[in-house]
Amino acid sequence: MALVDVKVPDIGDFESVDVIELLVKPGDTVKAEQSLITVESDKASMEIPSSHAGVVKAMKVALGDKVAEGSVLLSLETAESAAVATPSSPSAAATAAAVPEPGPTAAATQPPLPAPVAAAATVAAAATAATTATAASGPIEIRVPDIGDFDEVAVIEVLIKVGDVIKVEQSLITVESDKASMEIPSSHAGTVKELRVQLGDKVHQGSVVAVIEPAGVVATAAASPSAAPAQEAAAAAAAAPATATSAAASASSPTDTIAATVAAGGVTSASTSPSTTPPITVPPHEPAAAQGVWPHASPTIRRLARELGVPLAEVPGSGPKGRITAVDVQSFVKQVMAGSATTQAAAKAASARASSSPAAGGVPGLLAWPQVDFAKFGPIERRDLSRIKKISGANLHRNWVLVPHVTNHDDADITELEDFRVQLNRENEKTGVKVTMLAFLIKACASALKAFPDFNASLDGDQLVVKQYTHIGFAADTPNGLMVPVVRDADRKGILQICAEMSELARKARDGRLSPAEMTGGCFSISSLGGIGGRYFTPIINAPEVAILGVCRSRTEPVWDGSAFAPRLMLPLSLSWDHRVIDGAAAARFNAFLMQVLGDFRRVLL
Amino acid sequence: MTAVAVATAVAASVAPSSAGSDLSCDLLVLGAGPGGYSAAFRAADLGLKVVLVERYPTLGGVCLNVGCIPSKALLHVAAVMDEVKHFAAMGVTYAAPSVDLAALRTHKEKVVGKLTGGLAAMAKMRKVTVVQGRGEFADPHRLSVVMADGQSQSIAFRSAVIAAGSEAVKLPFLQTPELKDDPRVVTSTGALELRQQPKRMLVIGGGIIGLEMGTVYSTLGARLDVVEMQDSLMQGADRDLVKVWQKMNAPRFDHVMLKTKTVGAAATADGIRVSFEGEGAPPEPQVYDLVLQAVGRVPNGKRIGAEHAGVAVSERGFIAVDIQMRTNVPHIFAIGDIVGQPMLAHKAVHEGHVAAEVAAGEQLGDERLRRSAFDARVIPSVAYTDPEVAWVGITEDDARARGIKVKKGLFPWAASGRAIANGRDEGFTKLLFSEDTHAIVGGGIVGTHAGDMIGEIALAIEMGADAVDIGRTIHPHPTLGETIGLAAEAFEGTCTDLPPPRR
Repeated sequence: MALVDVKVPDIGDFESVDVIELLVKPGDTVKAEQSLITVESDKASMEIPSSHAGVVKAMKVALGDKVAEGSVLLSLETAESAAVATPSSPSAAATAAAVPEPGPTAAATQPPLPAPVAAAATVAAAATAATTATAASGPIEIRVPDIGDFDEVAVIEVLIKVGDVIKVEQSLITVESDKASMEIPSSHAGTVKELRVQLGDKVHQGSVVAVIEPAGVVATAAASPSAAPAQEAAAAAAAAPATATSAAASASSPTDTIAATVAAGGVTSASTSPSTTPPITVPPHEPAAAQGVWPHASPTIRRLARELGVPLAEVPGSGPKGRITAVDVQSFVKQVMAGSATTQAAAKAASARASSSPAAGGVPGLLAWPQVDFAKFGPIERRDLSRIKKISGANLHRNWVLVPHVTNHDDADITELEDFRVQLNRENEKTGVKVTMLAFLIKACASALKAFPDFNASLDGDQLVVKQYTHIGFAADTPNGLMVPVVRDADRKGILQICAEMSELARKARDGRLSPAEMTGGCFSISSLGGIGGRYFTPIINAPEVAILGVCRSRTEPVWDGSAFAPRLMLPLSLSWDHRVIDGAAAARFNAFLMQVLGDFRRVLL
Repeated sequence: MTAVAVATAVAASVAPSSAGSDLSCDLLVLGAGPGGYSAAFRAADLGLKVVLVERYPTLGGVCLNVGCIPSKALLHVAAVMDEVKHFAAMGVTYAAPSVDLAALRTHKEKVVGKLTGGLAAMAKMRKVTVVQGRGEFADPHRLSVVMADGQSQSIAFRSAVIAAGSEAVKLPFLQTPELKDDPRVVTSTGALELRQQPKRMLVIGGGIIGLEMGTVYSTLGARLDVVEMQDSLMQGADRDLVKVWQKMNAPRFDHVMLKTKTVGAAATADGIRVSFEGEGAPPEPQVYDLVLQAVGRVPNGKRIGAEHAGVAVSERGFIAVDIQMRTNVPHIFAIGDIVGQPMLAHKAVHEGHVAAEVAAGEQLGDERLRRSAFDARVIPSVAYTDPEVAWVGITEDDARARGIKVKKGLFPWAASGRAIANGRDEGFTKLLFSEDTHAIVGGGIVGTHAGDMIGEIALAIEMGADAVDIGRTIHPHPTLGETIGLAAEAFEGTCTDLPPPRR
């Protein structure tokens, strides 16, 4: 037995993420790859899997802690052999953990079991993991590799079927995140025994795509063209050593007898496998010829790129003289997965798809995006979109397409409120706190959200998640693009505190120093163009929120008070709402409530 | 022998299994040369149960036993003998050396023993089971080994690495019954046995191995002839490098026969009478006390029963692999000389690590290891002659032949304080840079210790360094290694140890 510290693995270039959930406690028995905690970045939450199997001795993190790559999560008491058998095959690890002290020596002296038989024996002996093959030289599960920090991606295409002979790196399925699609390659060569996914399934890193019979075992049968009689072939297969170090073998070893019986019964699975030897698929080894043209990347980076399947020639280097760094490789993967970059191979495939079908751009039934040679009509300049624009653009696009928006317009009478605001600022001149109309709006919206809880909600499948907290985001225009910092618990804060927090958040946003935590968790957003102008507009909802309030510049207008026109300061409001959650009447009431509060701010107290 | 003892001990402790194998393992490595033992040790370190099969009683293969290492032991002695000859000019006089061949042989054997003994110990520490015997595949998952005592043993494996190496080509006309066992006709292995002190020696083949052995015997007193079918000696290196070596070594040779074939040989009491044909052929057959065949090496691909495992072997005995060192049979890997040129120990070691990692990755389900691949950009070559010639990456000849645009930075050792102080300023250091990016793409050094310095250029290429990177790296003064930095400066036009660059 050994004590192992389980650490946060490489989670990309996030400096720190919040622990939002603990999934295990001391005393729990965990398997390798079992989720231990959930962490949350600004964009997504993810579960951190265990690198080892064992028993949790002590937790080293608590809810709300910030962790980063390398942070120790917990200490685990492992069975030594479990540590050897590590990830990939959780069932193998689990079985190993269940066996008291198998020890490498014990495993090593196990008589060899025929490979296909070992799998059968496991199934027969311990009815665990019914279809999961445990002997490494038996069937192999092909899993979804690390595809960046995407929780789940949908399978949009299945490129193989049972019985296919596949090569290493051959594409198995195509998956699609919200922005991009990618093909998942096979890590092994062999024959597909079983498909574990179908169109539309959601998969994530570690999901089993298919089970294959590795080519090595196929070769057992294949490689006796030298007129080996069937008996000899069977003997050959029987001789295939199951696994000396793999704890699975020792765990499943009630028995030479079972193995022998099955072996005697004929090694059908091996001898009936298709007799093709898969050809070499990775590039041939030709070390004698030096190339002379290389990406600017050291051997370490080349290994990383190889592991992630990144075409190094396409990765822009950010180091000195364009040297490609590890971060460059990781962010390339992220960009590809976020849809803001494409590999040449993928681009080629996409253009082939586009030319063969009118449904380009992934939206069926739409015309292709117009290709215009703008330079024909006058001088042009091409600029890359900023990082924030790319990210916010992709989010806005999704929200605009997926959310059925309706926008209600209204005008709020803020004559008295504005007087009050001006008076406050005069009083507070010395302290320097400047109260803005937006701060009042945040407070007013917080109280409207209390009165209309459906507006403080999110859709999650067939469920409505109603929040019991009131965090309000406000759109901030920064030199790099649009950002939405969030004022937490606006319902419990005074105007002055909200003002102070807003100015701090806005300053950080301008400097590009907002932390992920300061941009997440919002319930409702306000987009104010008040300082600039305009009358009404149709803001796009910041999903998964369900409504957003757009505000333009207030103006003094003649308003009929029942007997005469009076000059009143009117603030134009545009409320966009998600018609799946909210209906027109509720929206009208929400606006009416807001107008009442803004008309007489004492109502906030009610 | 330790290795044998280990093998027997382990074999005895393994209970015979119902499956008919005497021994089973995760990874079987066939051949314990530098590639084979590196694969075996790496795999053992990664947690696999490893069996290493070697036909000879010591580990280390050709390199340690009858190649790189013993030849270097002898070359060192030769170099010192040659060097002190020139000391008279500096006012230090020695008597003419007398050579006790038996003592020299013992010294060489001690050097080899130290290294092979170390390997055996390290195999033990890693619990790698060493089996001595001749291995042949019986089927895709079993190897049968015929041991020295004639007994045979079957070893079952999940993955295998073929590291069976190569052997010197034996010329057909030297394989006649009368010449085959004549002690005056040798390959590099025989030459390293140091059985005689010939007066007249013929080296057939003007490659590195022949020239190294020629150097040793010439210093021990032999006059040399070399015959080479191609138009120059030491193929592969740029001519400007070789020229420096050739000028220094001209006095060793009576005949340098280029574009010439050896066509016949006969044993006489006086010596081996050899006749030649071609441009450089002397009119009469020549008589030699020692004839060294050094015309290349053939892979041992056809001697391992590869067909029983379904592994494809080319007509010439090579086994094709991909960059993961995988043969056409996915669980069987091959590395080293048997997979192709260059046949160099340092290439084999790296290939062995890749094969071990991929095999371990697959067996242990480790995705990172599984993706291991050989992606070194360059493999350096060294001729341990005197002066040494070393080169790496693109040569000028390559660049010309393949239309790669390169520019040269060259530093002559005549401007190196250390080389002058050593009394050996005939060499130079040459770096080749991409014309577009100024990134280094190759380099060559001729001079003493060139082989010890070429690694820096290889590192620079792997790291993608450019001329400024190398030139601005401070090299210690006064050293020979300094010439690498200075050659980069010469390329940049910033070198102040050379006459000013022309404007």
